[in-house]
Amino acid sequence: MSLTSRGRRRAAPRLAPAQDETPAQDETPPPRDTSQAAPPGRRWARPGPLALAGRPAVVAVGIGLLLAGSGAVGLLITRHTGHVPPHVARVKPVLPPVGPQQQTPAPEVAERVPPPVSLTIPVIGVRTRLIRLRLTRSGVLQVPGSPAVAGWYTGSPPPGAVGSSVIAGHVDSYLGPGVFYRLRLLHRGERIYVREAGGRVALFLVSSVRLYKQTRFPRASVYGPTPTPTLRLITCGGTFDYQTRGYLSNVVVYATLAS
Amino acid sequence: MSHQAPVRRIVRLLAACALVAAWLGTAAPAAMASPATATRQTTGYLRLAHLSPNAPAVDVYLYSVGNSNAMIVVHHVTYGTVSAYQAVPVGDYTVAMRGAGKPSTSPPVLSTTVRIQAGHAYTVAGMGPAAGLRLQVLDDALTTPPGRALVRVIQASLKEHKVTVTAGGQTLTKNLAFGSATSYVSVPAGTWNVHVTGGTMSASKSVSLPANTTHTIVVLDDPGRLAIDPLTDAAGSNLMPAGAPGTGLGGMAPRPASSPLPWVAVMALGALVVAAGLLGLRRRGRAWPASGPHAR
Repeated sequence: MSLTSRGRRRAAPRLAPAQDETPAQDETPPPRDTSQAAPPGRRWARPGPLALAGRPAVVAVGIGLLLAGSGAVGLLITRHTGHVPPHVARVKPVLPPVGPQQQTPAPEVAERVPPPVSLTIPVIGVRTRLIRLRLTRSGVLQVPGSPAVAGWYTGSPPPGAVGSSVIAGHVDSYLGPGVFYRLRLLHRGERIYVREAGGRVALFLVSSVRLYKQTRFPRASVYGPTPTPTLRLITCGGTFDYQTRGYLSNVVVYATLAS
Repeated sequence: MSHQAPVRRIVRLLAACALVAAWLGTAAPAAMASPATATRQTTGYLRLAHLSPNAPAVDVYLYSVGNSNAMIVVHHVTYGTVSAYQAVPVGDYTVAMRGAGKPSTSPPVLSTTVRIQAGHAYTVAGMGPAAGLRLQVLDDALTTPPGRALVRVIQASLKEHKVTVTAGGQTLTKNLAFGSATSYVSVPAGTWNVHVTGGTMSASKSVSLPANTTHTIVVLDDPGRLAIDPLTDAAGSNLMPAGAPGTGLGGMAPRPASSPLPWVAVMALGALVVAAGLLGLRRRGRAWPASGPHAR
């Protein structure tokens, strides 16, 4: 360290005289002077492209363009809505789970269907464990603490049993996509797999995808009874209200057990 | 080449910038497309049951009226069997029963018609003694009064011609005759001991009847005793959540449309400075030809 720094110190004085000698060898004045008020008739006074950079007017034009440009860029960034980062736009393929497939259950209550443990939706790359959701004190459905997992509402029938089973998950976190970010992209007939605690896998087929205003959420058709084993996947959608920090709509995917 | 050419180019560039800014200010907030697929409910539900104790096994056929090809065939349905519900398109149907293994072209032993309405559920059951076997269409309940369960009883026991059924302390039906069904009775949600008593025999079973569920309790003959078959007709969330769940924190939400004014101001300031600079250049430019080497 000390050697190199000493070396540098020694090199500096050697370079300095070399620069000083240049004007002495060449009688032409330094080109810097051309930018200043040039005496008429002198050859080197002609305004070349480099010389222009020294003129205050040109500097002003440059700064002005820079300002206008940054204004345009700022406007572009703030006006650009619905931006999806490229890594989010890509769907990572997920394989369907392996396991004995659940048959359409006999309607006996005696045939108890175990609670679900995981959910897989290959076409939108969802693979998550399922936590248990209850109701909050105000009677609203709990939502998972982590935006990366979905949860089964324990007040609804387990997936695969007769009735409408409810699974909810986040569409996004504060920073990025949640487990159900692509839920609204599902189509009729696409496959949803739910693994039970016993290891069996229930296959559901999407029957419809709906977007509801939260003020007009159809609780009866989402939470109400059905005579066949059905599934309702719920997440948020529509406009995000920055005042209340919440979405104004819900996406509900309706699915029925494949028979 | 005159020095004015780059000036014009700059002016043109500025004009383009202003145009782009105007477009961004007005046209950028594009509306988000709604993913909702609006499909109206066009199906109902149907299940088939064999509840005649001394009738042999049957094959059950479901025909859409006007179509001789069966839509659904259930083979070898024996006494006590109740199928799961099948979703079927709304319309009129014929349910026909033939002896198990009989050709589908043979005349049916029994047949009846059923009209399936959207969102409704039906049980078509072979009821009564073998000699007087008939197909009965039962309208099934799907919804309940809030916080309660609905239960009905089908009496399909020949051993006891009349039965009385209770759930907990509540009497569901008294002296219900063989081959008949009650309408639904509202009961408080809970797990109840369902008790069936006939003339000499009785049976009981613990049955879970959660809120927001509907059930059919079938009284059956078992060898030497009565049996209780509790069916779940429909089930929903037993505690209906209030409102709608808040399942998003906004990280992927479109940003709010902030005011474009500060940026427009910056752009305007830039344009002003450019204009001032250009003015300065122009003044100087008039002086150049006189002072430049070409003037000589």
